[in-house]
Amino acid sequence: MKVLVPVKRVVDYNVKIRVKPDNSGVDLSNVKMSVNPFCEIAIEEAVRLKEAGTATEVVAVTVGSSASQEQLRTCLALGADRAVLIETDADAQPLGIAKALKALQEKEGAELVIFGKQSIDGDNSQTGQMFAALTGMPQGTFASEVKIADGRIDVTREIDGGLQTVSLKLPAVVTTDLRLNEPRYASLPNIMKAKKKPLDVVTPDELGVDLTPSVEVLSVEPPAERQAGIKVESVEELVDKLKNEAKVIS
Amino acid sequence: MPHGLDELFSARALKRDPDTLAQWGCDWTRSFTVAPSAVVFPESVEEVVALVRLANESAFALVPSGGRTGLSGGAVAGNGEVVVSFDRMNRILDFSEADRLVRCQAGLVTGALQAFAEEKGLYYPVDFASSGSSQIGGNISTNAGGIKVIRYGLTRDWVAGLKVVTGSGEVIDCNQGLVKNATGYDLRHLFVGAEGTLGLVVEAQMRLTRAPAPQQVMVLGVPAFPDILKVLAAFQATLTLSAFEFFSERALTKVLAHRDLQRPLPESVPFYALLEFDEPDMDRAMSVFERTVEEGWVTDGVLSQSEKQAADLWALREGISESIAPYTPYKNDLSVRISLMGEFIEEVDALVAASYPDFEVCWYGHIGDGNLHLNILKPADLDGEAFYERCHAISPKIFEAVRSRNGSISAEHGVGLLKRDFLGFTRSESDLAIMAALKRVFDPNQVMNPGKLLPG
Repeated sequence: MKVLVPVKRVVDYNVKIRVKPDNSGVDLSNVKMSVNPFCEIAIEEAVRLKEAGTATEVVAVTVGSSASQEQLRTCLALGADRAVLIETDADAQPLGIAKALKALQEKEGAELVIFGKQSIDGDNSQTGQMFAALTGMPQGTFASEVKIADGRIDVTREIDGGLQTVSLKLPAVVTTDLRLNEPRYASLPNIMKAKKKPLDVVTPDELGVDLTPSVEVLSVEPPAERQAGIKVESVEELVDKLKNEAKVIS
Repeated sequence: MPHGLDELFSARALKRDPDTLAQWGCDWTRSFTVAPSAVVFPESVEEVVALVRLANESAFALVPSGGRTGLSGGAVAGNGEVVVSFDRMNRILDFSEADRLVRCQAGLVTGALQAFAEEKGLYYPVDFASSGSSQIGGNISTNAGGIKVIRYGLTRDWVAGLKVVTGSGEVIDCNQGLVKNATGYDLRHLFVGAEGTLGLVVEAQMRLTRAPAPQQVMVLGVPAFPDILKVLAAFQATLTLSAFEFFSERALTKVLAHRDLQRPLPESVPFYALLEFDEPDMDRAMSVFERTVEEGWVTDGVLSQSEKQAADLWALREGISESIAPYTPYKNDLSVRISLMGEFIEEVDALVAASYPDFEVCWYGHIGDGNLHLNILKPADLDGEAFYERCHAISPKIFEAVRSRNGSISAEHGVGLLKRDFLGFTRSESDLAIMAALKRVFDPNQVMNPGKLLPG
């Protein structure tokens, strides 16, 4: 079984985001970039399926600039067999990405496609679902556990107030939630081996897709700064301030 | 009971209840008597001056108190002293971008200075496990080091100016933020590492620097200790390291038992080295790694792929002190020249094993600085007093091993009460006489942290 894992290059989740002074976007200079954490979980799951003998090949793919090769190399170091970069400098958006991935899937014919449930930059949580709709594949989103047997995949989903298990016929789409697994460290010998694994670059044109954004970003604003708190001397003063200044009690 | 405090401090700033006395009267050490008579929380330099003058007039002693994370008893008040807490003098007073200088009060938490620098697009590089509670005044008074010394040096290197209230109650401004100042004795450096025995640091001008490139963290498995030094040399010959730490498998086992962290390598290895370096140096670091494997020094290694993994790998090293705390370890913070570390560790291991074969010895430290943290863990079936007694019995032998290599009996934890009586293993008779004479100049009436560092 071939597993396709779409991943995304994003600003590291531990980096404090700075907005550009002209509000045109987020400042990416001298900022640590990483594999989107949910995509890292997707890679880990695919590699575990391969280690268990369920999967035969793991292919990592991303849509992005040539700098994204760095993240694909990470995926190769973590255990993916080969990688594909669909190279574009456009600010690709979920629908365009889903269409590009569909075109790639038609060539690859993977039986399982594992997405992260969302990327932490755009927070859209759309690409996996759009891809499933475009390809007509069944989807199990927000997975916290997957089991594969007899041409089917059982996906345990984290839903409000509990867990739901859905059973999908392969080929299928899964999107990962945080509790699915804990990604491993990349071992240095594997990082070295990853340099020799195949990484193909294709253009959107070759796949016959148009990645021109359909949504235009007008302005990016940082969250309003919180005002500093104050210390009060007594309970009376606290009650007085809650009543007359904050007006949260009467 | 010291007189006159009630006239100087409001009830809010003067505490005598048992909880406050117990908490503010000590640091992280647990083996010294804690018995202060009061704790005061001054809010201004003027209040500190009035307090020091009162201490001189009424003949009571003062113990400065910062984040209380010290490991040598330097901030322990055991003889009815008045503890001077800087918790309420924790403000940043001004910042100059052109000078890259922050002027702050002594009670500013180290982590708050780091965060402020980051906000300004700059960097305060002195960092260690307790930076979330330790204070700048305490960092200065102990010349704190930590995990980035190999690249950025010690606290001393970042102090551009100090305002100090001396033991006689005089206020002196040292250096005032200058880079160049060739006007004789640089008094600033006398107060760095003085452990509050000459005066109270009330304000500091701290230098900031350019923020580094994003960092990569590597953990390598090294079967034989002497090879760690070869690995260090190989990396340093090729790139700038921001950190080079080591820990033993024994230390790692304690951390993994204590915290929910992944083992860094699939197989256990006797020693681990943790390296941090700039991301752009990645390719060079990989080629050095290849060489260390070919040489047989390193068996395996991992590289962080995100800041989260970097933090998790660091937690393996920074979590050690906390993980072994339940074993009430006997701690020693020693330094010898890097080239002598291998034989030194061997000698100490043999010393402990010869006297107490059932004691577990746990090594870790900032090996890039020649700094070793020796921890002897208390066996569960031995009571605390008997354990410390036995450890103290071998202390002189360990210190002799330090002396014979011209090392230091306290690399970065300070002297305080813990190492005071052993100072002669590192400092000469004439050194000690000059130190005592200096103390008399700044603190004629012995009110400043008496009994710490030098005999009271």
